[in-house]
Amino acid sequence: MSQRLSILTLTIANLLIPLAILIFATGFFPYKPFIAGRASYGDGKDGKNDNKYGTAPFDKVVFMVVDALRSDFVYSNHSGFTFTQSLIRSGAAMPFTAHATSPTITMPRVKAMTTGSIPSFLDVILNFAESDTTSSLANQDTWLSQLKDKPEGKLVMYGDDTWLKLFPSVFARADGTSSFFVSDFTEVDNNVTRHVPLEMRQSDWNGMIIHYLGLDHIGHKAGPRSPHMIPKQAEMDDIVKQIYQAIETEKHLQSTLLVVCGDHGMNEAGNHGGSAEGETSPALVFLSPKFRTISGGSESPLVVPESSFEYYTTVEQSDIAPTLAGLLGFPIPLNNLGVFIPELLAFWDDDVKLHLMQQNARQILDIVRGTFPGLPFDGTTDGNGCASLNSDGETLDCLWSWATKSLDPPGYGDGAEALRAYTEFSKRAQNVMSSTASNYDVGRLHIGIVLAGLATVACHTTASTALSESRSSGLWTSSVIILYGAMMFASSYVEEEQHFWYWASSGWLAWLFLKQHSTLPMGGFWKAWLSVPLLAILRVIRVWNQTGQKHAGEPDIAKTLLPAHNSILWLLVLATYLDVVQRLSRRALPWTSRRVSFAASLALGLTALSFKVDFTKADAPELLDGLHLFFFLRPMKEASLIAQARALFIGIMALLLLSIFPVINKRASQAGKVEDIAQPPVDAGMLTDEVSALRPLHDLFTLFLMTQSRATNIPLFLLFEIQCNILDLVELSGVEMTLTSHLFQYASFFAFGGSNAISSIDLSNAYNGVAGYNVVAVGILTFCGNWAGPLWWTSATALLLSKRRNQGRRRRWFEHVSVLTAFVSSGVLSVMLACMALRTHLFIWTVFSPKYLYSMAWSMGQHLCINIGLGSLLYWVETS
Amino acid sequence: MAETTTEAKPRKLLPISQPISVLPTDVARIYTHIHPILILSLYYLCFPSLVADPVTTLKQALAPLAHLQITYCVVCLPPSKGSSTSPSTSSATPKKKKVTFAKPIAKPPASLKSRIIPAVFSLFLSLSLSAPLLTVILILFGAPLTTHFWHNLLCATHISLLGVLPLFYVHGVDARMWREISGACLPFDEVWGGLVGSILGAWLGAVPIPLDWDREWQKWPVTIVTGAYIGWFVFRYAGGYLLRGKRIEFD
Ligand SMILES: [Zn+2]
Ligand SMILES: [Zn+2]
Repeated sequence: MSQRLSILTLTIANLLIPLAILIFATGFFPYKPFIAGRASYGDGKDGKNDNKYGTAPFDKVVFMVVDALRSDFVYSNHSGFTFTQSLIRSGAAMPFTAHATSPTITMPRVKAMTTGSIPSFLDVILNFAESDTTSSLANQDTWLSQLKDKPEGKLVMYGDDTWLKLFPSVFARADGTSSFFVSDFTEVDNNVTRHVPLEMRQSDWNGMIIHYLGLDHIGHKAGPRSPHMIPKQAEMDDIVKQIYQAIETEKHLQSTLLVVCGDHGMNEAGNHGGSAEGETSPALVFLSPKFRTISGGSESPLVVPESSFEYYTTVEQSDIAPTLAGLLGFPIPLNNLGVFIPELLAFWDDDVKLHLMQQNARQILDIVRGTFPGLPFDGTTDGNGCASLNSDGETLDCLWSWATKSLDPPGYGDGAEALRAYTEFSKRAQNVMSSTASNYDVGRLHIGIVLAGLATVACHTTASTALSESRSSGLWTSSVIILYGAMMFASSYVEEEQHFWYWASSGWLAWLFLKQHSTLPMGGFWKAWLSVPLLAILRVIRVWNQTGQKHAGEPDIAKTLLPAHNSILWLLVLATYLDVVQRLSRRALPWTSRRVSFAASLALGLTALSFKVDFTKADAPELLDGLHLFFFLRPMKEASLIAQARALFIGIMALLLLSIFPVINKRASQAGKVEDIAQPPVDAGMLTDEVSALRPLHDLFTLFLMTQSRATNIPLFLLFEIQCNILDLVELSGVEMTLTSHLFQYASFFAFGGSNAISSIDLSNAYNGVAGYNVVAVGILTFCGNWAGPLWWTSATALLLSKRRNQGRRRRWFEHVSVLTAFVSSGVLSVMLACMALRTHLFIWTVFSPKYLYSMAWSMGQHLCINIGLGSLLYWVETS
Repeated sequence: MAETTTEAKPRKLLPISQPISVLPTDVARIYTHIHPILILSLYYLCFPSLVADPVTTLKQALAPLAHLQITYCVVCLPPSKGSSTSPSTSSATPKKKKVTFAKPIAKPPASLKSRIIPAVFSLFLSLSLSAPLLTVILILFGAPLTTHFWHNLLCATHISLLGVLPLFYVHGVDARMWREISGACLPFDEVWGGLVGSILGAWLGAVPIPLDWDREWQKWPVTIVTGAYIGWFVFRYAGGYLLRGKRIEFD
């Protein structure tokens, strides 16, 4: 294939990749239609939403969300909720575990709790994008809008501003707090608590929402076993006590229902987003003195089997909406798929119980009809033997017939059986509808797959020349592609993807050892042994952060060893910064004296380090316990973290521009004089390369990535640097370098604590230098924070590849990109095929959808923008 | 650092080794087929208790495995010439002093004693040298470092007895030979195939561990040991017949 044709093919392949991804995504995460409008009493045919028994026990509700309140935080015997537990024993509190479906992040969970529906996965993206319009619930039917529509309805809200974004201009009084400054445990909650006593004295509202974030922040920072956890729970318990006592004493609050719940739980590492049992099991407690009339109390604290989070009865989170509708006396929101919690039916006599369940079932039936338009649902089917039917729709139709027939003739039917039948129908419908929660656009899925297939074929034709050069690296490359592709079809391999990259990397390094050993000239045997330190460093890197599902939270270096020995941590961090500074000082500002460039580098390094120390002090103060040696490094103690970060970014940028432009200029003028004279042979070891423009750029980039990483991950950059220097000594061919880079990029992503679960996204450095909310800046910083390892290896690869001067430079970079594209396009293709094939599988929401989002980030962010965009730029800077 | 990268003609390591053949006796030709069956039967018998209690089982299986391997070496394989004729390339090998253990032997049936002694000595070497080395390699490849010490050591010992013991027996401790072995440039035969297979199998044995089947046998190091035995079996035959005489190609 001619050079020009293969460049064209490669370009087309790389244009097809994002196109395929986006088309597939629109078919895979379709926008879920909802029934517009509002339910109201008396509007329905056949007695739907009939309010003939207007006997709601409550007229006001205080809805208290404690973010990430896992069930055991309230119910176990290691809990700070002592007052709540005493109410559970007395019967004034009705405890439940509310099952939250994945994705277990705040915005979709709030949607589920307020609408009663099961939100689409699209809400994950919207949760991070926080776009105000698309995800708004202002036009949807929720229990908030129902409460507000009541005569004299008025809502107030304090806490997480997610509510303000979801319900713009719904609240009469509100004070939102941002959920992204995770390091704040106290201020964020005090801002909510200070409103509580005032609002308890007001009688004008009928719905009050308070959403506390502190407990979630503690989880993210220090995990569920953090010493901060119990005091925080006690603080929350105190709020419960305050509100409960107000309900007992204040006359205008006497019919007030207090609901305390978590929007989701957390896993053993303190994160959430995925589908581990801890993440999907938040607590749900209904409190009011009135419950004493229907409940004799329950055992509390309760002991459940180890690592189980099922306390008391487990209900669905969406059940909150219809239950509130019944308890407060308003129609059930239109899109609800929740079922009235049976334990709370005890307020009413049998007629009303049946009526409530019937209303609930009829409302759900409307949605079921929309999903199964071919079935009658008119009670004409035989209502017996429903369990033996195999299609979901037919089963539901049959159950509906059973329910309607058990009431025949009206007034004489078996009320108890009808109640059972309606409940059964609703539960079943909830089950069916949440598993078919998404109607895929299969046509688009096919188009996406075909386009990804074309991209794969196209780039394999361009990569084949590079791969055919060496049979063994060709074999390795195709094995990695095939194994990775096959792996995408098994949920546990997707969850534990890191093992594949560690496993393949160590195998590859061993192969390099053998290869070097057998092919190197006799005098160069020692080079083969360089693979051993590479392998040893890889071994350290793989236990740096325990990631994945199975072993998350197990002891590792970053979360166990270093926090316990924080002086070692800071010595390593210091060493990493000093290493960057010493390299930078030799390369930066090549047009000034060594002294000036040393001073500039040192100043920048100290700024970076002092920012990291200050940031850690705010973000994870426990890492600085008992260490005072860093205090002398604080020249700008007064400056805020945002200003520090900005100063640092500007400094990096300035040094970068001052370092590379003179070199490029000089090069350009030289190139004008001596056209195309073969480069002089250069010694091994890029550190001695005097004219390298990329070297200071790489060091500055490292400094930036270190700024975007947690303190406990910073020593990894030192390890990478050692690996990179070793790789520079080992003579690798172009394809070998590309494969090594690919393996190390992925391995490093997981070494930083990344995984294929939404919960592992690290937002701690997403706001460096950003005041307020700026989607683009926060998005870029989040990406750099989470992909710091792969980003580093992209830069390092450009450095390593530009060193090899024996073959055509452009050719080499072209081959590098084409092999990388082959990896990425076939990876995307196999993820798509897996999502397509397993789209009715149970794991599609919990495992494969997050994986698809990650592969979007990998292919569009890491591959297109970084490996091709930034990588080519760096390579060009170095070799132009 | 001052290494000059002469692109032109690298003096590569030119492998001189030849594939090993089984001794030309009837007993040897028959036993070389019975032996792998015995080994796999041993593994098969041990499997249930291996899953239940890896450390004890691996420890108990060492003695029968060592006996079988020694028998195999003595019956089927030609012992090393025992000459340490490593010419100029002598690198520092720690076991240099011990090389004069075996007398040069006449081709077919040498005396039983002259074969048993090197076999026992190979056992000693594979226990004392290659087993610890393989333990380190296992750890480098991701075996647990702070826990499971005995698991790792015993797993490595099994691989060592399976793959390395016959290699010591047929190649002795010739430095040149071991350089070729560490560069994996030996020609395939049933001995070298056994080592390649057991290591490759152990590496591939890690594959099923992350699966969420929650089976007992997924625990460390059951799959690794299993992989090593199966790999040894497969590559022993592949090396003996299919791949015989070929070398691993690195380019
Ligand atoms: Zn939340
Ligand atoms: Zn959270």
